[in-house]
Amino acid sequence: MRLVNSLRWRVILGSLLWTAGLLPIAHLIFLVFIPRAPGVLRMNHVGLLMLAVMFMAAGLLGLRSGLSPFKELRSRLSDVRGGRDSRVGGNYPVELKPLVSDLNTLLEHRERVVKRALATAGDLAHGLKTPLAVLAQEAERAEAAGHADIAGAIAQQVERMRRQVDYHLAHARAAASGATPGARCSVLVSVEGLSRTLRRLHVDRELDIAVRVSAEHSARGQREDLDEMLGNLLDNACKWAKSRVVIESSQAAAVVLITVDDDGPGLAASMRESVLQRGVRADEAAPGSGLGLAIVRDLAELYGGSISLETSPTGGLRARLQLPAC
Amino acid sequence: MVEDETLLARQIETALLDARYAVDCAADGERADFLGRTERYDAIVLDLGLPKIDGLTLLRRWRDAGLFVPVLVLTARGSWHEKVQGIDGGADDYVSKPFRMEELLARLRALIRRASGQVTAELRCGDLILDSRSAKVTVAGMPVKLTGHEFRVLSYLMHHRGRVVSQAELTEHIYAQNFDRDSNTVEVFIARLRRKLGASLIETVRGLGYRIEAGQ
Repeated sequence: MRLVNSLRWRVILGSLLWTAGLLPIAHLIFLVFIPRAPGVLRMNHVGLLMLAVMFMAAGLLGLRSGLSPFKELRSRLSDVRGGRDSRVGGNYPVELKPLVSDLNTLLEHRERVVKRALATAGDLAHGLKTPLAVLAQEAERAEAAGHADIAGAIAQQVERMRRQVDYHLAHARAAASGATPGARCSVLVSVEGLSRTLRRLHVDRELDIAVRVSAEHSARGQREDLDEMLGNLLDNACKWAKSRVVIESSQAAAVVLITVDDDGPGLAASMRESVLQRGVRADEAAPGSGLGLAIVRDLAELYGGSISLETSPTGGLRARLQLPAC
Repeated sequence: MVEDETLLARQIETALLDARYAVDCAADGERADFLGRTERYDAIVLDLGLPKIDGLTLLRRWRDAGLFVPVLVLTARGSWHEKVQGIDGGADDYVSKPFRMEELLARLRALIRRASGQVTAELRCGDLILDSRSAKVTVAGMPVKLTGHEFRVLSYLMHHRGRVVSQAELTEHIYAQNFDRDSNTVEVFIARLRRKLGASLIETVRGLGYRIEAGQ
């Protein structure tokens, strides 16, 4: 069955049958022409044999190289799938060219559709945030007017909705980035932007944010997602740190490892798992507790990476984020 | 305050007025651009999703034009990537919606304080203490009742201690833009402040304006 389905074997079978057809014809030619002109073929047997082998070898080589574009196509496609490339590249014979160009059109179309869906999800999320802000203010007013129970209920529901929106938006974004392959982003660029931002947002704290990241290290994925993961980790570290936050990265084989250390009070081992718990269940988590680390975990896992928390050598918490390198 | 959602804009305006700020509101980017360039504000609360000109573009334009008024970005776009863009665009602080009004006010206060080089919420001058957090003034521990305008005049002078502040500058800072201004009223407020807080606190620099001594 396998042989019937193999293009290579079909070509070989075809050429064998062709040859089998040629043999009687050759035989006929010899029978008819050789007696009439005995001097035409002067070569000895060895020479003939060599000639035959040469032709056959050349035929096989031709067949091999004729089939090699398939091999190339396959490796290019796996590049696209693995996120190393966004389009199928390379030079192909005329029979394959239309197929490759169709493939690229399909990829382009898919990318556009995903982008549009993502933009819609974003618009929906942001469209909801402003009414939520209005509701939250109304709740504060109700509280000031002495309706603490109503205010509490509204505030709680607003918070739940905010979490749902944040969580699903981050999730949609990450899921979509799998559909726009070929993205890679520099860890240093993300970390520098974020540390600038966090220094500004925590300017009163005068935190020392040390960046020890090589410009060589890059992760596979969208910049937005790496920013979201690192932003949550760094923000968390800044919130708890006494004075110092350190970001380091290292890259080995296909994995880039980013650690974020703070010199804050740390986190009891028993608590570490629960702060990483899935965000969808966030409405059951303690009110006011951030969704940040759960989002980090979800994004990391979507990219085939992981996040873990441990004790930092500086006494605080260390977050270890592992992501596929690029 | 730049916000296109009218209900939210009114809520924030009310809260700011309650905290004794003078507030101008703009509901779109063009109006905000005009006000930002023609008025001198202590701080701007800027929504990013605006009609006509979006907030981030506006912010970059202001910064490129050398306008360094403290800007607090208030936006629905709360991802870290967007925060980085906002800060890199020149924002001084970033609050994402939905938010707690208390937090917005606290951050705004800190922003204004930092812009004037102050590190605490309390401004002291001899036995006079102005707490910008609670908008309360005490002299030797006794609370002093001030109207909104009086408070703004005092607060501005104390934020700029040691510097002569002109009448025009004070007028600009204590009134909202659509308010009928009359520079004589500044004199009225100064007179009332002197009556309530003692004559020696605010010094008149003839022809130039008013000053509270830095060393007092």
